[in-house]
Amino acid sequence: MSDLDALMHAPGAGFEADDDLERINDLYCAKNWSDGLPIVPPTAARVEEMLTYCDRPLAEPVALIAPRYGAATPLRLAACAVMAGCRPEYFPVVLHAIDALCEEKFNVYGVNATTHPCTTLVIVNGPVAKELKMNSRHNAFGPGNRANATIGRAVRLAMLTIGGAVPGAGDMATFGTPAKFTFCAAENEDENPWEPLHVELGFARDASTVTVFGAEGQHNINDHESVTGEGILKMAAGTVATTGANNLYFDGAPLIAFGPEHAATIARDGYSKADVKKYLYEHGRVPLGMLSDENIERRIRQWPVFGNEYAEAGPERLIPVMKSPDNAYVIVLGGPGKHSAYIPTFGATQPVTRALKRRDGTLARSVGDFRRR
Amino acid sequence: MCELRKRGLVTAVIYSGPFLKLGRNQARTFGVPELPLLEITHPLGGISLGDVKARAAQAAPQFADLVRKHLR
Repeated sequence: MSDLDALMHAPGAGFEADDDLERINDLYCAKNWSDGLPIVPPTAARVEEMLTYCDRPLAEPVALIAPRYGAATPLRLAACAVMAGCRPEYFPVVLHAIDALCEEKFNVYGVNATTHPCTTLVIVNGPVAKELKMNSRHNAFGPGNRANATIGRAVRLAMLTIGGAVPGAGDMATFGTPAKFTFCAAENEDENPWEPLHVELGFARDASTVTVFGAEGQHNINDHESVTGEGILKMAAGTVATTGANNLYFDGAPLIAFGPEHAATIARDGYSKADVKKYLYEHGRVPLGMLSDENIERRIRQWPVFGNEYAEAGPERLIPVMKSPDNAYVIVLGGPGKHSAYIPTFGATQPVTRALKRRDGTLARSVGDFRRR
Repeated sequence: MCELRKRGLVTAVIYSGPFLKLGRNQARTFGVPELPLLEITHPLGGISLGDVKARAAQAAPQFADLVRKHLR
């Protein structure tokens, strides 16, 4: 018997069920093992096939997922990936995303358990995105692409089934968000006039990375009229300057995803990515007077993030949404059209990036590098 | 909190109604399922300072009872 056989036949590792998709889905919903959409039953054969793209020990936890602090072993993650509908070659991206979002600064406990409507946004960079035929263009955050849809869903199913982010018990979101079903895309590197996210963060251009954000769903930045980069940036800064998002109160690294047409105009007018961030820092500001008296007192004047900076400030005083120019993340995403997106975060979270690496630490050039020998 | 409880100190978590399940689950996760959970009226956010004081007044006698039991 192989290691995998032994693990899958260990007491409690599995159970027998009738070969009836409807009854299996009823069971998974009743047990809080489902997001409510139909799942693909994680049979031993399917889980084994998923694990062909995993070079790690199958029972060794990649991470512990809060709030339950469940052990995210490759075996369990493979079951989630099967349930989500992943093809086996997607599995390395799922596994690295889980590894990233369990790094302390991401604050997966807060992201999963909060009343705030945040979720785990996964952005993929590098050659693996194309290898997996991920969508970075039209409708990149929407339906229609199996890799985008199922990688994001597998990550969320791991939060639910391993992490215990069960609504009302481990996930206390007031509303939640449709983005909690899945929220995953590849950056549109081909139409990015600046360096792609992973290169900006210091990874080699031919590295493949996953970056996770504790993010809300996106808010649109509609600008069909501006003909200059400054005009588009002014509209973007106006969208960023909102009172409802947590980023006003925290040092929480929001994401701005520029559509390729907006990005081209901004870059044509001489703005580097650093210039864009500086502009958004300087202009994406909320006047103190836009807040209620209670919020001014409790969330600004007495809020630890600000120290005493606004203790005597009047209603015209501007509060930056980004707490420094480097506090924002900027990517290029989507297809043709005059839209960009502001993606606020939970606030008490920082994005984390992982390069796809084999178990021995070497950079993976292809998902094929993860095939079990 | 759970570590302090394991060391024998008087500890408790104060929760408002809808957070009972989360509190129980967390106590179980951290190996102290018997961790006392002291209920106050929901919500705690978005209320006046007077109402915050009223919540504290709900919690204080519950915690005092815990201390008394511990000292017996």
